[in-house]
Amino acid sequence: MDPRAWRRFRKNKGALFGGVLVLFVTLTAMLGPLLASHDPNEQFRDTLIADDGTLAGIGQIAGHLLGADGIGRDHLSRLLHGGSISMLVAYFATALAIAIGTFAGITAGYFGGFVDTLWMRGVDLLLSLPFLLVAIALVRVIDDPALWVLVLMMALLSWTTLARVTRAKTMQVRELEFIQAARALGMSHTRILFRHVLPNVLGPIIVLGTTLVARMILFESALSFLGLGVQPPQASWGSMLQEGQALLDATPRLMLLPAALITMTVFGFNLLGEGLRDAFDPKD
Amino acid sequence: MHRRYERLGCAALALLGAAGSIAFAFFLPDPPEAPRWVGAGAQTPQVGGTFVFHHEANVRSLDPHVAYDELSGMAIRLMFDGLLDYDHESNLVPSLAEAMPAVSEDGRTFRFRLRRGVRFHPMAGHPEGRELVAEDVRWSMLRLMSQDVGSPGYPFYASIEGADAYHEGNADDVAGIRVIDRYTIELQLKEADQTFLNAMAMPFAYPVPRENYEHWGDEVKFHPVGTGPFVFEAWERGVQLTFVRNERYWREKPGPERMLYLENIGRELAAQRFRNGDIDSIHRQSPSDYRFFKTSEAWRPYMVEEPRGSTYGLGFNCEMAPFDDVHVRRAIAFALDREGWSRARAGRLLPASQLLPPSIPGYDPELPTRQVFDLERAREEMRLAGHPDGLPEPITVWITGQDDTSRQYGELLQSDLARIGIDVRLRFVSFAVYLTESGKPNTVPAFFTGWNLDFPDPSNFLFLFDQKSIHPEHSENRSFYRNPEVDRLLAEGKSERDRERRLGLYRQANEIVARDAPWAFLYYTLTMELWQPYVRNYDPHPVWSEDYREVWLDLPRERVARSLAGVGGPVPARFYPMGALR
Amino acid sequence: MIAWLIRRLLVATGVTVVVVALVFFLVNAVGDPAVATLGPNAGPEQIADFERKNGLDEPVLQQFASYLGVVPCVRDASPVAAEGGHCGLLQGDFGDSFSHNEPVSTVIAHRLPRTLLLGVVAMIFELIFGLGVGILAAVRRNTWIDTGLMALAFLGISLPSFVTGPLFLSWFGFRFGWFPLGGYGVDFWDHVYHSILPAFTLAIIGAATYARVMRGELVETLRSDFVRTAAAKGLPPSRVVGHAIRNALLPVVTLFGLSLPLLVAGAIITEKIFGWPGMGSLAIESIVNLDAPTVMGVVVVFAIAVQVGNLLADVAVALLDPRVRVEKSG
Repeated sequence: MDPRAWRRFRKNKGALFGGVLVLFVTLTAMLGPLLASHDPNEQFRDTLIADDGTLAGIGQIAGHLLGADGIGRDHLSRLLHGGSISMLVAYFATALAIAIGTFAGITAGYFGGFVDTLWMRGVDLLLSLPFLLVAIALVRVIDDPALWVLVLMMALLSWTTLARVTRAKTMQVRELEFIQAARALGMSHTRILFRHVLPNVLGPIIVLGTTLVARMILFESALSFLGLGVQPPQASWGSMLQEGQALLDATPRLMLLPAALITMTVFGFNLLGEGLRDAFDPKD
Repeated sequence: MHRRYERLGCAALALLGAAGSIAFAFFLPDPPEAPRWVGAGAQTPQVGGTFVFHHEANVRSLDPHVAYDELSGMAIRLMFDGLLDYDHESNLVPSLAEAMPAVSEDGRTFRFRLRRGVRFHPMAGHPEGRELVAEDVRWSMLRLMSQDVGSPGYPFYASIEGADAYHEGNADDVAGIRVIDRYTIELQLKEADQTFLNAMAMPFAYPVPRENYEHWGDEVKFHPVGTGPFVFEAWERGVQLTFVRNERYWREKPGPERMLYLENIGRELAAQRFRNGDIDSIHRQSPSDYRFFKTSEAWRPYMVEEPRGSTYGLGFNCEMAPFDDVHVRRAIAFALDREGWSRARAGRLLPASQLLPPSIPGYDPELPTRQVFDLERAREEMRLAGHPDGLPEPITVWITGQDDTSRQYGELLQSDLARIGIDVRLRFVSFAVYLTESGKPNTVPAFFTGWNLDFPDPSNFLFLFDQKSIHPEHSENRSFYRNPEVDRLLAEGKSERDRERRLGLYRQANEIVARDAPWAFLYYTLTMELWQPYVRNYDPHPVWSEDYREVWLDLPRERVARSLAGVGGPVPARFYPMGALR
Repeated sequence: MIAWLIRRLLVATGVTVVVVALVFFLVNAVGDPAVATLGPNAGPEQIADFERKNGLDEPVLQQFASYLGVVPCVRDASPVAAEGGHCGLLQGDFGDSFSHNEPVSTVIAHRLPRTLLLGVVAMIFELIFGLGVGILAAVRRNTWIDTGLMALAFLGISLPSFVTGPLFLSWFGFRFGWFPLGGYGVDFWDHVYHSILPAFTLAIIGAATYARVMRGELVETLRSDFVRTAAAKGLPPSRVVGHAIRNALLPVVTLFGLSLPLLVAGAIITEKIFGWPGMGSLAIESIVNLDAPTVMGVVVVFAIAVQVGNLLADVAVALLDPRVRVEKSG
């Protein structure tokens, strides 16, 4: 990384704060399953209704820090496990989208002509698809979406902006003297792309990648909120939101906690992305 | 330089905002605990007011020959009458027919005499409506049976003499339907069918006026005309339907001036609107709303909880491994902690032990082969099946729907079967996919399933396990369960005219089905219906869901539904009946 | 300019056709619409009949060609099918909805105005709040007002509608009782009243985006030479800002054009949460019901709207900024 960019980034307290949030959420996601006090799928059904038939308030179960959900599962443990799933999906989908988008962008920008037209028509096409509608339809076609299918689908629908930006940047880089020189010296295209073009377009990729994670978290939550994301008994923040919505008035925390976590995480990634953009592309 | 402060401030403020809104959520005004309004205290039925009810989905059609779903039924029953109807004890009673039909000695001929002076609602060409005659009944039956209309109800009437020839277009008339005189019609069957009168009470057989169909053509589903207590007024598609009181109704005149049927109101929102006083009756609640109403003293007098005529279970395809082994099926049937499921659903599921629900004749609480939760017996059955340590492979269970409810059921099943060493993979599909695929042999190994009665007779449940209900596609017998003994009992039951003997045959079949476990029976549903204190004379019907034909409103005459006056917000005083409870 | 416009139109048409093709094959791979429509007790012959009427018994390629309207109609239910007429998009025929028992065009004609209403109200909120906040923040730049407003905007772009929607409903609909608990209402002003909460939910992200863009552009413009010159010449500050705002509007207009298709496509999640009977709920209902013709209808309308929106945005930008026009036509 450009040392000046790093210096600028370090001075930006907001971005650092975003970074800390991101780090915190990521660490919790990785360690969460270890911290959880209960099996997230164990159902403590007996406590839902007292033996004399009176109904306990939902979520009021002794011995559980944040209570339990509608069918008696430990809420905290589900939040921890759910976060890990949500983050996992978001990171993998982002990585994949970055891979596709970068490849599309640098090949389109570097070779131009037919390759460029092909990729950019693909981008146009994806952009004129009703995004969520297609995702829902796809999930229904696939019918039994494993996690990796979800990741793949999310990535395939999300690489467009990255491709556009990388392409534009590549077109600038392509005209630089040292690349012209490398080409004249007979260096292979692959080598030029990887050794010279890629490092020069890395900045925007990092910036966009960071905000892309935020979008992926939202995407996964939206699908799970509609009941089309991760499959039971696995928890994710989106599916917990869906389950909690019905109980919003009885037991607000069942919905508010996953909602707050989603918002906080998205906020953190956006903040970090913004800071990175300022660092790489200073305006003042 | 200023930027870093700005960003830091941003972050801090935004977090503060988030924390603030969460805190805000805990300090909101309390929702109303008790009914907002009570009645004026009238003792005799009053005329006037708007009755507001709702459903979660969209109404698709108001043509009784075509509609075959609960929510269209709710609207259609307001506007139409049948020759026969059910009373509140599920007995068939005459409605448009003057009396129960005269049945011939061989049980194949039914002669209906129509009530005189019944008038259709006003329609094109008849601004005052016109009298219902036997020819209307004949024309309606013919329309119902024609292939062009494609009524899903046709199979119920296929036993009428000559029905198939007419349906396939080989005849211009149905030989078994004869108009005797202006008010008399005779129906003749190919063979005796003890459930034919039930079919005649179904909405498919509601008489409709020919002129209206000729006037509107394909649009007729938006312009229904019947003889019922309410006259169709308007339908804003996807939003609401309105009906006005039929001043000329032949029976006791209806109460409300207007009925407002809201479409597309989800159950959580409906419960909130009900508590705010915007909806007059609700019939489906999320578990948390159910808990609220169940524990609410204030709402107790305005609530009834009754089992519905439906049975839910886990179906197995008896031709597919491992469910071709009766012991595996029985093991699962014994492993389901039905009480625990009920706890997770706020106690509203009645554990099911057999196919027939309690409201259906033939149900036996002491059935020797009843299915109950018994882990020891479940493990014993697993041993008998040769899998003392559980199944080596996970089983795949299909489940319909994609909402939090279906998700919870799946999770309850996964948790229960883990105890006898069975791993469950869930496959969420739409209702349609489930219907198509599970109707084909060797396709769906196990599936969440259920049956809701068309009419209150055990045959309407037991035919699900008849070999006759197995087809290459679209089998009703989704378990592909074959048992000649059951087939024989059902065939005898169909034509047996002695009621006790007939029930005896169905009891035996019910017992065999519980023992062989083509389904692991899970629960019968308990339906909680609530109404506002000023809604009077609402008595939930055992056959028809949400039958609001007989309600009247104990209100000052001017009450306007709040959804008509703009929902929410403080309501002007004139809308208050006698004064709020709080 | 004309040549550019024609080329642009051709590309737009091409992309639309490919999108329609993609979704057509996707949708027609799903389930069995006959059973979804006729219900559990339908017999095999009724199903065969349904498939014949709707052309579902033909090969999928032929169905697609018929859907576009380039080969004779395969849907026996269509009145033109008997005499070998066409019944596709080219003839303005979207087919018949399976679950609504009426032509898809009628269903969409019912739903589209509702979605448009919601979209327009949302857009008004977006513009009022977005531009208002953006301008205020830019004028008071680097003060606590600026910081606070931008923090709100930042939170805004991180708040999904499936978080805010249920909360707003519960708070302002149920607890405070200020707004209706979902639904659509009975007359025009009632519709508007019903649309406020869902529109506000929808508008949060848009308003936040507008605010950020507006502030950024306006700060730049205010710093630019011509504005400084104007101020130095003694133009009153309000007129200086007005001048600057006009110059800062360009990216806002682009953003606006790009957001036009959302107006038509509806908001699946928000409409579902609020029970708003528009295009979004139509889309999700018809996917659940395997109502292929309706899903297709929604997609076609959306795809066209995207192209029109992009085109309008391009044209608007070209009109506002001559430099762009030169680049584009070059």
